[in-house]
Amino acid sequence: MRDGNKLDWRNEVRERIAKLDLSPQAKEEVIAELSAHLEDANTGSPHKTSMPSDREWRQILRAIQRSKHEVPIMNYRTKSLWLPGMTTLLGASLLLALIQILGFTPRLVWVHGMGMVYYWPWLAGLPAFGALGAYLSQRAQGQMRARIIAALSPALVMLIVMSMILPFGFAIDGWHFLRLVAFGLALLNWVVFPGFALLLGALPFLRPSPLQQA
Amino acid sequence: MQSETHMTKRIRSKITRGSGEIAILSLLAEQPLYGFEIARQISERTGGALKFTLASLYPLLYEMEKRGWVEARWQANDAGRDRRYYRLTAAGRRQLAPLREEWRSFFQALDSLAGVSHA
Repeated sequence: MRDGNKLDWRNEVRERIAKLDLSPQAKEEVIAELSAHLEDANTGSPHKTSMPSDREWRQILRAIQRSKHEVPIMNYRTKSLWLPGMTTLLGASLLLALIQILGFTPRLVWVHGMGMVYYWPWLAGLPAFGALGAYLSQRAQGQMRARIIAALSPALVMLIVMSMILPFGFAIDGWHFLRLVAFGLALLNWVVFPGFALLLGALPFLRPSPLQQA
Repeated sequence: MQSETHMTKRIRSKITRGSGEIAILSLLAEQPLYGFEIARQISERTGGALKFTLASLYPLLYEMEKRGWVEARWQANDAGRDRRYYRLTAAGRRQLAPLREEWRSFFQALDSLAGVSHA
């Protein structure tokens, strides 16, 4: 480990500063700089620097965090995940509300005597919001996973809500096969199809950034 | 010997920090340097009296960068390895003169009180 191998210093520093709340780009820069310092200090220099202790690393983390973010208005996760996700969710909800207020008639599809309501204009508009969520996340240097979650947030919220409602339905009315079918159809209606539409819009923003490719 | 009081630690920390700022700014006023070279030159030129560790150097450099006193960019060093070179900005240069004056006054005051000057 202490042979001055650059890759090892990088890995060592990367592990030590994993908890640093910085964008991936800023974090990579800190890793590159600190590992270069350790490499210089430990390869043929009389000014050898020993690896900082655990306590010193904690001090370094705190100090770097403080110096890089004096007043952190929003942390990295908020900027790259929560804010884009909430924006997408809000936009998709407003679009649905607008469509209902404007009086667009939903398309009714009957399956096993159960009517499913489809708002085609809403589904058609969802790719724009998927794109918005993924773009905002990408702009905040969000990782691929954050971009996908931000883009899919309306569908994911519906999935969570429906998953919570289903057990209540069974608890109150008892087990019904038709209820399960209805749940499956509602899942298609409010989660799967919207999810596809959102993902379609997000696709152009799901390419790995040069930093993530490196 | 009694351990350092909180106040003593605070004073020591402020002196160390202040001396670090003026040392780095003075060095960068001569030429752009990267972190390890800054630490090496400060140690050599002060006969080891001032030493920077990883923990003390980089937070200070990042803070000075955020204040706009220095700017950094990656370039190859003499050995052809990419290093992040720090360069003094106009704002940093403006900061240097009052800092020097502050430290001069500080040493004069200390000298008149405790006769610490070697002259």
